[in-house]
Amino acid sequence: MTDAVRAVNLSKTYGAGAAAVVALDKVDLTLPQGTVAALLGPSGSGKSTLIKALGFVSPGDTGEVFFEGRLVVKDGRPLADLAQLRRRHLGFVFQKANLTSFLTARENVEIACEFGGKTDGRRRARELLDYLEVAHREHAYPEMLSGGEQQRVAIARALANEPSLILADEPTAALDSVRSRSVMELFRKVAHDRGAAVLVVTHDHRALDVFDVLYEMEDGRIRPSAHRSV
Amino acid sequence: MNLALRDVRRHIARFVGTAAGLGLLLSVVVAMQGIYAGMVDDATILTRAMRADLWLVQRDTVGPFAEASRLDPSVEARASAVPGVRRARPYNYQLIQREHRGAVLRIALVGLGWPDDPGHTLPLVRGRHLAQPHGEMIVDASLGLGLGESLVLAGEPYRVVGLTRNALTSGGDSVAFMTVGDTQLVAFDQSAEATLLERQRVVERLRRTDLGRGQPALEDLARDPRWRAPALASPPLAAVLIDADPHRIAEVQATVRRWGDVTVYTQGEEETLLLSGVVQRARMQIGLFTVILTLTAAIIVMMIMYNLTLEKTHDIAVLKLMGAPRGRLLGLVLQQAWLLGVLGYAVAYAIGELLFPMFPRRVLITTAISVIAPIATLGIVTLASVVGLSHVMRIDPASALEG
Repeated sequence: MTDAVRAVNLSKTYGAGAAAVVALDKVDLTLPQGTVAALLGPSGSGKSTLIKALGFVSPGDTGEVFFEGRLVVKDGRPLADLAQLRRRHLGFVFQKANLTSFLTARENVEIACEFGGKTDGRRRARELLDYLEVAHREHAYPEMLSGGEQQRVAIARALANEPSLILADEPTAALDSVRSRSVMELFRKVAHDRGAAVLVVTHDHRALDVFDVLYEMEDGRIRPSAHRSV
Repeated sequence: MNLALRDVRRHIARFVGTAAGLGLLLSVVVAMQGIYAGMVDDATILTRAMRADLWLVQRDTVGPFAEASRLDPSVEARASAVPGVRRARPYNYQLIQREHRGAVLRIALVGLGWPDDPGHTLPLVRGRHLAQPHGEMIVDASLGLGLGESLVLAGEPYRVVGLTRNALTSGGDSVAFMTVGDTQLVAFDQSAEATLLERQRVVERLRRTDLGRGQPALEDLARDPRWRAPALASPPLAAVLIDADPHRIAEVQATVRRWGDVTVYTQGEEETLLLSGVVQRARMQIGLFTVILTLTAAIIVMMIMYNLTLEKTHDIAVLKLMGAPRGRLLGLVLQQAWLLGVLGYAVAYAIGELLFPMFPRRVLITTAISVIAPIATLGIVTLASVVGLSHVMRIDPASALEG
């Protein structure tokens, strides 16, 4: 199985001198395609920093990131067009759905297709909404959708360009347990059906059985979790 | 997908409200520019309407508009005899105020040299030119008089036979054109009592002198109704207008300049006198006010654009994180600014069409204003959107991950 993303010896420090905070400390992580992984850990352990580094938003200071086998970031320096990588190969899901407020559910997905260079954005947006069972809400604006519906649309948007990697930062924090599990199961479905690697940052231990692999972070270091995975 | 239009569609009421507000502001800016242009045009419209090559006025004065000018009526005949002069016309100008149908009318009376000048140079919108030497007048439509209506001046009715548009003085007063003779009658209206008293004074003086006692017939002459006492003699003119052969204007000007009792101005000089004197301060005041208003409008648009962008900060951060091309995001701000400008200008234009004709002062939307105002509006909104664009550039896509 091809690796979607691989981080090697990835480090990042905020501040300097006595005030320096090590957010990532020589992190090694490999996510093969078709894997759904959870990233656990207390606040401030470096989870969000790792998500930003793997999402090519805020690179680490040292270390390397490979994307689909290709070295794209080395010691904080981009070796590829990172915006284009995000556009075409990455999907993001946030704690709040973070849908664009002035676009309808369908347009939120369609615009992601456009950014990814897809010409049949409207059709694909409808397909994805249908896949995630929110097609009947395609004309609704985000504020008219429930929290669960918003997250489904956000996942549809993340899937718009058939990404190799989906990064989700506490996507169920605002949902009740039923909807939370439903979203987690969607990630699993996406990973297994579509072959994407999914990394989900979560504090929610109620649905950990959904994940293929669990990681835990503490003080910037990552290790396999002691929690049971499937 | 056009993000700017999608955002406008989502917040249509607020966007239209903002555009309407901007339109009102722009309409004030355009109105000030129009009033400025109207003032300049009004100041020169009277001189231009006369289409004279040269204006002869009282010596060492800048009359007849900037200050009073009195010329002896004989100057007309003298000017006619100058080589190169095709025609000399008497001209009178004076301001009067009368009540008519319960309203106060301020009228600038302009005397035309009958019969040579029945008003052929005037741009009539209705009616005809003067057809008789007495009792007719052509008035500006802004006076509110209709064709055929009569206005009593100096005890006699004057019938409106023609209407002009935008014949106003620099002070905004409406102009009425009549023959020079009629303006003199109005200006030097003597009551019958004054005439009788003056005749009686002449008779009394004759009786006290040897000349009067020796020639009793002189007393009969003084009582003759056709005789005009010196104190009531022919009233003066405000100016004499000269139409010269086109290639001899300078020659005529040089000749008349040697006369001791007149000052001669070309048409251009007469207009300059008006612009540099009569309306100069008002022009400067309105001009400065226009500049301040334009700057105010620019700053307000800038704040509007900044706020519109600021409230989309999170949406833009998310779009950036998704890898939105920079041009799409900058286009979102810029296209909204342009749309705001276009809508704002449309509102200003509609307000202008509806309300400017009702303004007490003429608002003249010149071709220059019509062309420059929309371009300037687009320029202002583009410039104003720079702060919004700069904000878009500074938004960190990572902030989308921060909840």
